[in-house]
Amino acid sequence: MRSAPLSLLLVATGLAAAEAKLDFNRDIRPILSDNCFACHGFDAKKRKADLRLDTAEGATAVNDGVQAVKPGDPEASELIKRILSKDPEEVMPPPESHKQITPAQVDMLRRWIAQGAVYRKHWSFEVPVRPEVPAAAKGVSPIDAFLGAELAKQGLAAGPEADPERLIRRVTLDLTGLPPTPAEVDAFLQDTAPGAYERVVDRLLGSPHYGEHMARGWLDAARYADTHGLHLDNERSMWPYRDWVVKAFNDNLPFDQFTTWQLAGDLKPNATREQRIASGFNRCNVTTSEGGSINDELLFRYAVDRTETTMGVWMGLTAGCAVCHDHKFDPVTTKEFYSLYSFFYSAADPGFDGNILLTPPVLQLATPEQEKSLKEFDARIVAHQKAVRDAIASLKYVDPATLTPPPPVRTGETVWFEDAFPEKAKVERAGNPTTFVEAGQGPVHSGRRALKRTAKGVAQDYFTKGASFDIPPNGVISVWVYLEPTDLPKSIMLQFHVGGWNHRAFWGEEGAIPFGRVRTPEKVNAGKLPEPGKWTQLKVDIAKLGLKPGMKVDGFAFTQFDGTVYWDRLAISHRIEEAKDVQWSFKFWSEKKQGSRVAELPGDLQNLVRGKKAAQWTDAERKRLLDWWLENEFQGGKDKLDGLRAAKLAEESRRKALNDMIPATLVMADLPQTRQAHVMTRGQYDKPGEAVSRGVPATFHPLPKKETYDRRDLADWLLSPANPLTARVTVNRFWQQFFGLGLVKTSGDFGSQGDSPSHPELLDWLAVEFRETGWDIKRLVRLLVSSAAYRRSAAASPELLTKDPENRLLARGPRHRLDAEVIRDQALFVSGLLSPRMGGKGVRPYQPDNVWEPVGFTGSNTARYTRDTGEALYRRSLYTFWKRTAPPPSMIAFDAPAREASCVRRELSNTPLQALALLNDVQHVEAARAFAQRILKEGGATDETKAAFAWLTAVGRRPAASETQVTLDALRAHRARYAAQPADATQLINFGESKPDASLPAPEVAAWTLTASLLLNLDETLNR
Amino acid sequence: MNDPLQDHLRLLNRRSFLSNAGLGVGGVALAGLLSREARAANTVHKPLAGYPHFAPKAKRIIYLHMNGAPSQLDLWDYKPQLEAHFDKDLPESIRNGQRITTMTSGQARFPVAPSQFKFAQHGKSGRWISELLPHTAKVVDMLAVMKSVSTTAINHDPACTFAMTGNEIPGKPSIGSWISYGLGSESDDLPSFVVLTPKSVGGQALFTRMWSSGFLPTRHTGVALRSGGDPVLYVQNPPGVQPGDRRVTLDALAQLNAAGHRELGDPETLTRTAQYEMAFRMQASVPDLTDLSKETPATLDLYGPEVKESGTFAHSALLARRMVERGVRVVQILHRGWDQHGNLPKDIARQCQQTDQACAGLLLDLRSRGMLEDTLVVWGGEFGRTVYSQGTLTKTNYGRDHHPRCFTMWMAGAGVKPGISYGETDDFSYNVTKDPVHLSELNATILHLMGVDHRRLTYKFQGLDQRLTGVEERHVIKGILA
Repeated sequence: MRSAPLSLLLVATGLAAAEAKLDFNRDIRPILSDNCFACHGFDAKKRKADLRLDTAEGATAVNDGVQAVKPGDPEASELIKRILSKDPEEVMPPPESHKQITPAQVDMLRRWIAQGAVYRKHWSFEVPVRPEVPAAAKGVSPIDAFLGAELAKQGLAAGPEADPERLIRRVTLDLTGLPPTPAEVDAFLQDTAPGAYERVVDRLLGSPHYGEHMARGWLDAARYADTHGLHLDNERSMWPYRDWVVKAFNDNLPFDQFTTWQLAGDLKPNATREQRIASGFNRCNVTTSEGGSINDELLFRYAVDRTETTMGVWMGLTAGCAVCHDHKFDPVTTKEFYSLYSFFYSAADPGFDGNILLTPPVLQLATPEQEKSLKEFDARIVAHQKAVRDAIASLKYVDPATLTPPPPVRTGETVWFEDAFPEKAKVERAGNPTTFVEAGQGPVHSGRRALKRTAKGVAQDYFTKGASFDIPPNGVISVWVYLEPTDLPKSIMLQFHVGGWNHRAFWGEEGAIPFGRVRTPEKVNAGKLPEPGKWTQLKVDIAKLGLKPGMKVDGFAFTQFDGTVYWDRLAISHRIEEAKDVQWSFKFWSEKKQGSRVAELPGDLQNLVRGKKAAQWTDAERKRLLDWWLENEFQGGKDKLDGLRAAKLAEESRRKALNDMIPATLVMADLPQTRQAHVMTRGQYDKPGEAVSRGVPATFHPLPKKETYDRRDLADWLLSPANPLTARVTVNRFWQQFFGLGLVKTSGDFGSQGDSPSHPELLDWLAVEFRETGWDIKRLVRLLVSSAAYRRSAAASPELLTKDPENRLLARGPRHRLDAEVIRDQALFVSGLLSPRMGGKGVRPYQPDNVWEPVGFTGSNTARYTRDTGEALYRRSLYTFWKRTAPPPSMIAFDAPAREASCVRRELSNTPLQALALLNDVQHVEAARAFAQRILKEGGATDETKAAFAWLTAVGRRPAASETQVTLDALRAHRARYAAQPADATQLINFGESKPDASLPAPEVAAWTLTASLLLNLDETLNR
Repeated sequence: MNDPLQDHLRLLNRRSFLSNAGLGVGGVALAGLLSREARAANTVHKPLAGYPHFAPKAKRIIYLHMNGAPSQLDLWDYKPQLEAHFDKDLPESIRNGQRITTMTSGQARFPVAPSQFKFAQHGKSGRWISELLPHTAKVVDMLAVMKSVSTTAINHDPACTFAMTGNEIPGKPSIGSWISYGLGSESDDLPSFVVLTPKSVGGQALFTRMWSSGFLPTRHTGVALRSGGDPVLYVQNPPGVQPGDRRVTLDALAQLNAAGHRELGDPETLTRTAQYEMAFRMQASVPDLTDLSKETPATLDLYGPEVKESGTFAHSALLARRMVERGVRVVQILHRGWDQHGNLPKDIARQCQQTDQACAGLLLDLRSRGMLEDTLVVWGGEFGRTVYSQGTLTKTNYGRDHHPRCFTMWMAGAGVKPGISYGETDDFSYNVTKDPVHLSELNATILHLMGVDHRRLTYKFQGLDQRLTGVEERHVIKGILA
């Protein structure tokens, strides 16, 4: 619900003079906007009776002798008459709109007309001017002077400063997302010199955790996630952008550069790596590759999303309304929307994301050494290529299809595994020792014995050194498999090593064995699991696996997930009929491939083969194709070519293995040729109307005169001192972060339907201050958290709760629930489990079973959640892998947005599901147990000292006597219970992956675990 | 919002009551008793002031979403004359240049595929129904079958998002969240909006946005009752922790929070204590909900042989009845696997086999308990399927592409005119020819039956009074109201 504007509060509390001058923007515009503008506003198409009430000209115009607003004369104003009319045909707003103007509002409209009906541009569209700071006592900060003036007007007194313990906890959580340690609390208590608080703030602003914490809010706005977000919702590599945001906050990158890099970093001349990573802001939107989608529609949608997000995040405008029609409340026409959209419509990324990790354009983030290695590989590959070409030049190729009689058919088979791995292979394993079963003692298909493995999860037998095999042309790999009927695997897999593990075939469940990217040769779905309890021969074509003739396989692996599997006789067979083989006859290849897309060919040759019949190729074209074919496909001339080609392929394979290790991130880029944007009629992608060029809404300052514009100009325009919104919207969002609510409560809507600021002058002062002091974020943050208002005690008297329930006047200090990530991080921190490691790929901590699985598309590479182990379970929540269609439930329960769309303000709900998560989720129970162990070891000798340590660590203060009493009563009840039932104690303290401390008695750890859990669930712990 | 004082008093009363009675099983039973008492006070899922707008016909709703889009041509929309068009091209006058997906837009021709399934007339209404739905056929006189439903999106992701939230763009509240927001619920120990996602063979992805509260307060997000693991996330105590242990923690927590509240006066503190108590009650009520041991064999038989197997559609349907019985306002079952681009005859038969009996059983079960009078049941997918075959057409095999221009849904129960058919399509089930029903109108009608004027159920977000039925003028479908 919308809160009453302060002026209403004034009227209600009887504090205002009856004839106080009304302010159009604060008092009148909200009434007109909410009730009238939909039909009498900016949108010309929907305007009724040719009357507009959003401008003075429109409202005071005389039409057929009727004047809606007659300044100075409310009784002669048609507006008032219509509102008061009892005639359903006459009354405004009309009954079917379900809008109603209250008597208090009518009274205000009357008084406003009587006072001369002065119109002003919507407040937020006027450029902020630094207001004079109200007079105040010496040492009072400007923020407090503005707040104090308003408090005085309302007859309210500011409360006292918070206890130092509560204060340091508040500011530490607000600046780093982690609570203070007992040592930090005590140091602050003991520092009685002036400036103690400021020193704490400086220390916190210098902590690397500051950037991690500040990044979160921005990532909500940027709709950052680790999957594409639609349909398959496959993984995308975007985390370098996330890490850049953390670094930018820690480096205190000024907000103007923070803006320009994200909106146009890619367009900067000689853009640095960081600037290009930052441009990933515009690649964070959801994308799809759903079959049947229409490319134009997708391109349209992505550009709309980018336009809406940019306008929403920087200017607090709900520009999306103008996708289909002129904005009803704010001065953005449809045409103007599409002029903004045009800045983004030429983005180079495709409509279909391809369901791949790295939808282009991407930036590879190699280290200098890796870059050097890649270059060396390239040089070697070129050398190998030259050797191959030289050898080809010396061949005298005769097409077998031209011979009569044709060459005879040849077949053959090479066995790779029978009774044993190859003689000199260095066999390794993951899981129990490698075992064989002898014939007569268990299932063996051929020879003397078969490989047998029983596994829980992923396990395998493999080698990568000591033996190698040639890949023949037309090869088919086969293996015999027997599955134990009583102990079935989820999946089995064969893997082949050529420089790296890049070739895999699996049978059974796709997500079970996590290796390789699905639907690439790295992970080929070869079918269902074979029938259990009988020997079955499984076969797979080398072409499917990306294995090429001439490659040398220098390792293979038998892999499984769960179950008991017997493997026998792995072999490769081939059959060659030269005259009818694309790898022997160029003629046959030409006939077979013409008209189709041959992905391996270079671009122009690809078009040639696809677009032109073989008969029409020129001699020169045929020669180029033949050369390419001989070099890459032809399998004859073994004596001359084989070793050379194998060397080249191996080198390429090793390059790929290195390349795959190098992280990359999606970045923004524009097409070389601008894509023409159009007004899309009624927002339909297939109804392009008038063509538009890049521009900005006319109500704002214009772009500088130039021939063409790009995103750099848009960023400059947002940051211009003439822009009325960017600075206001930004300082307001930071205000919201520290005070719970923004000065403008609707932090995502500064338009006329948004709320008016509670302290307009303060907002403007902050905005101008922020801009004029170099957009310095840390300086702004320091200003906010150093204010007396921020430092006040949160204690609220019943009177204050009635007068100012939302605490917008800040007579008391801000108090609100911690964000989802902070709640989890705090528990990990307090327990000592939190990993300090920063950055990197998203991790997969504890998550209940069956969160991804029931929603996941079967073929998605995020259909199945495989949780990480060890340290990855205890990273800060910022680093948790974010799947948009099924985000982490423990985050969602605490109001984290799904990251499908930009979000600048989270809800702070209070639900039973939160209670269940904090009491029962393994990560919280495990944290409570680790915390209990700390209490036992670090908490001193007695229960009392332990309780004091526990409170100080969890809540940042020592408990009152009554609190100690309640805590210890609970402890003793738990202690009696677990002493009587130690088996339950053992169960409880073994919940979670980390092992309990064996030197501590289980019942004692269990009793303290539940006591620690109690403290971690206190309302005080969950709030700050 | 909750009245913190009321909550607090209730809590205190309850605690002394429980401590007198002892804990464990007895306590749980008492918790049940008390929750009914509290239901009168209705403090947990309160309706908005002024809701419902008028006397509702339906107090609760069960929405059966057949995800992937069932073929209307093979189930409901009987077109016997299509036989004569087998493998002939769809006349251009019918398609009329309308958009088709890129999965078939490249096809050289659009051969008409008549349904290979037999249709027969059923019930007093003589409704034509495919042989694939023998059980639904027996209850057809309870249904209002709408053959003229349409939507705008042509692909699953946007279409499902539209069907569930009234908008193709992610981020809007789902229909269940809207209802929960407006009407609250009568259950004090279960969520007001619950979603079930039974297993199926493959299928399109579901998205949590389909039951998300969007910009509404998050407590209106649907709680997905899961078929594997805990039915409600984190509802089970950790190993080695008994309800009695929890009671100790919660009593201490309430005392400590109360002290914190005395000092700081934040009303949210008391709400939090109340929510922990609600969580404690859910720990008892959820296992009770999923315990089917008291269902009679006759009831179980209604839902078919798979009813006892967790994660089947039949099991979900029975749980749906048990939930609405306990005061849950909205239950949605999202059943996947209806996307038959190829091998339609075989695959749709499997889908029907999984759902047909339980759909009919649910209606019969509700009726026998006198609950059908004030429970609304809705059945349907996100769009329909094309009359022309995708891929190869033979006498015994064909596929069908997405078709948003017409499809069939049905409603039954509270306030719905039983035994009727509403709306007509052309001879090719391609275009609506009479009484069109846009999905947003269907949603308006659902709200109407629940006593809510869809134009007044609004929430201010991004400067607009947002509503489930969007900004366009939408009307309640009067023709299907009893």
